[in-house]
Amino acid sequence: MKLNINASIANNRRFIPVVATAVLFIIAYSIGAGFYQGMRDPQVFLNLFRTSPFLLIAAIGGTFVILTGGIDLSVSGLVALTTVAASALIRAGWDPWVVILLMLVMGMTMGTILGAFITYMKVQPFIATLAGLWFARGMCFFISDDAIAVDNRVYKILSQTRILIPGLSDPTKKEGAYISLLVVVALVVLALAVYIAHYTRFGRTIYAIGGNEQSARLMGLPVNSTKVLVYTLAGFCSALAGLTLNIYVGSGHGLYATGFELTVIAAVVMGGTMLSGGSGYVLGTLFGVLVLGVTQTLIQFNGMLSSWWTNIVVGALTLIFIGLQSFLAARKVQAVGGERKQEGLAEMLRRSRKMLLYSGGVIVAILLIIVGVNAFMPNIPTKCTLKPFQQEKAAALVEGGAVVVYEHNGGSNCVDELYAIYPGGKITAEEGANRLEKQATSDDIEELLSGINALGWFTDTLYSTEHEPCGQCFTFFLTVSDQGQVKTVKAVNGGTDTPPAYWKVIALIDEIIPHFGAP
Amino acid sequence: MRQPKSAFDWRRVTESRLFFPIVALALVLLFDLIFVRGFFAIEAREGNLYGNVIDILRSGSTVILLALGMTLVIATGGVDLSVGAVMAIAASIAALMMNPYVMAKELPENLQKLVGDPNFTYAPLWAVLMVTLIVSAFCGLWNGLLVAYGKIQPMVGTLILMIAGRGIAQLITNGIRIQIFYEPYAFIGNGWVILPFPLYIVILVFTLLWLFTRKTSIGLFIESVGVNARSSFFSGIDEKKIKLLAYTLCGLFAGMAGVLASANIKTSDANNIGWALELDAILAVVIGGTLMSGGRFSLLASVIGALVMQATTTSMYAIGVPANAVLAVKGVVVILVLLLYSEQARNLLRRIAVQQKEA
Repeated sequence: MKLNINASIANNRRFIPVVATAVLFIIAYSIGAGFYQGMRDPQVFLNLFRTSPFLLIAAIGGTFVILTGGIDLSVSGLVALTTVAASALIRAGWDPWVVILLMLVMGMTMGTILGAFITYMKVQPFIATLAGLWFARGMCFFISDDAIAVDNRVYKILSQTRILIPGLSDPTKKEGAYISLLVVVALVVLALAVYIAHYTRFGRTIYAIGGNEQSARLMGLPVNSTKVLVYTLAGFCSALAGLTLNIYVGSGHGLYATGFELTVIAAVVMGGTMLSGGSGYVLGTLFGVLVLGVTQTLIQFNGMLSSWWTNIVVGALTLIFIGLQSFLAARKVQAVGGERKQEGLAEMLRRSRKMLLYSGGVIVAILLIIVGVNAFMPNIPTKCTLKPFQQEKAAALVEGGAVVVYEHNGGSNCVDELYAIYPGGKITAEEGANRLEKQATSDDIEELLSGINALGWFTDTLYSTEHEPCGQCFTFFLTVSDQGQVKTVKAVNGGTDTPPAYWKVIALIDEIIPHFGAP
Repeated sequence: MRQPKSAFDWRRVTESRLFFPIVALALVLLFDLIFVRGFFAIEAREGNLYGNVIDILRSGSTVILLALGMTLVIATGGVDLSVGAVMAIAASIAALMMNPYVMAKELPENLQKLVGDPNFTYAPLWAVLMVTLIVSAFCGLWNGLLVAYGKIQPMVGTLILMIAGRGIAQLITNGIRIQIFYEPYAFIGNGWVILPFPLYIVILVFTLLWLFTRKTSIGLFIESVGVNARSSFFSGIDEKKIKLLAYTLCGLFAGMAGVLASANIKTSDANNIGWALELDAILAVVIGGTLMSGGRFSLLASVIGALVMQATTTSMYAIGVPANAVLAVKGVVVILVLLLYSEQARNLLRRIAVQQKEA
């Protein structure tokens, strides 16, 4: 039995990283769904695609480049340049379709130039694309220093069209789980990429070059032209990713997508593509992107962890996958090395004992330093001690005729603000000993109440949620009384378990209330 | 044909490792001489010197420190992408140790007063610097372990810390940008003793490193590892330990650069300190003529390379190019430098020269 497993692993070794990523994704998502009610919503799963079509497209381009043994750092620069240039041209009145075509041509041109440098001038891919990154990002600021918003019908159609998923939605009411057109574009690119990589001569040449450029050349494969074409393809993907981002956020700016090239590389590596080239699957990249997405979603749903944990987790995952890859590579070398001896895990561990010992030592040393420094640091509160909601006071205010009583606590300044809005237009606010008052018109209040009603305040779609808030987060306590109905909903920001409509209500109220600290 | 004697001299000059970096620096400075009015003016105020040239030296000190460490790493045939992230970690640790009360909420009155006090530091300055530098050296050591003992490609191995490092830096300061009020620390970054203070640090570090690599055989070992790790191993050089040393030093210098940068802007900004500086450092080394594949290196050439990068940036600011757009110019400079160094381009030029001679 054990022999069988060993043999099947040995035969399908190339699939291990891809399968590992896919399994990791499924496990991570299942754990999330087990813990958080919200993650069982199919829309949350679809959002993994909906919020990152640009990442998927760019990562596909990156996969091809990495398969040839190169690397493309110019992605983020090209993405930013595309968003800025496209926005500027559309603002100048160009037809969006012409602009889209132009941007794709621009991306391909840039890719071709970089590819030519790398192939014919023998410049290291890393440095050439780095220069490309700087050039592209710098050019953004020659076009515009500020963000340019796009207001265009075609863009709106492209970004807002909802494609409902059959079986999970209600077509008559146009509600339910959906994806956007951009996701379809990304999936089409993925399908094409899979076809190119595995079913064309071009694709096989890419694998051959990544495996061993010298022997590919000796076999008479068109190494040079293929390499240039791969960078052209990557440029195309970057420009398309830039367009998707531009359509998705509806604006362009030179500082968009900073650090994106690292995310792309991390996605490709997690997808099981070897950074030394020649081995990997385009489909694996999809799972790499999904794992990144699920990491982010889990951290959002948790609500207590801050966003920078994403970076740390992604770094750790990259390390694990690189470790897995080098382990497999080591086994492969053994198998090829004539003896065909299968190295067991124990042997592998013995061989890298020194490495494990040293890195363990470094980690222990760093932990010791942290503990030492921590013990020496003063014990100070870095979080607010949250003040309890003033429930009785709120109830009294409602009794006294207030239609909206809104309290929010915490935040970076540990505030404890209580607002009351009266039908006549009077708005009072108190924060500790401070008092504010503002007079709005009764029409404003009418409008506010009808707005809150329209968002479904008194329906079941708005419900209380509570969890431990993060250091900078606020807790909310909002009571609305309208036409005899009174309902209180509590929430904490920083997580994603709160119904989205709640934040729309808060936004409506924020518009009308006076603010402390404002002149 | 030239005279044999003068041709001989000319060759010696052009084949010096410092020739191309100095030419590049001269070109940038020539550009300033022509296009920027008063670029070379130096002004003495209260016994201290100010001016654009001094400013290049001052702002360049961070990149020079990074480039020194990067030279060693690149000479072993590796690359360290994580220096920017290590800078951020160092800055965060230093800022936190000096004034942890900035992070606190709802402080009692007596402690609240300490938050903005320029003479208050929680930990003594020497302890702050020591812990910061030790942690940075450990970060470098971690990279070295992955590369030397883990046999991971240098670019990938250091990429991990590059991604995770900024997250760790934010974790240390709880995502808050800590302002630094302590004056003696700020002096490290923006103090003046006739010349800017960071310059003295750079000179000291450079001298020590030069003695360390050139007056002992360490420099030779590093070069030999870069040329051929396997044959160095067979000739009795522990190639892994040499790599470990190079990465550790690189981490240490990155930590120093982080201290300089945070002292200069008086905050620990985990998101922006050292952003994209690893690229500046690598390019400084490349301009200095050290091959990315490893081998011979020259510390002085890397320093001049760093000055070329900084001089380009400063002169772009001086003629009024927006800060972010300078990147585009840098990109073009890099491509030009690479072409200048590329064997293919030189061959092409040589062929053209031969053709002209024949014609």
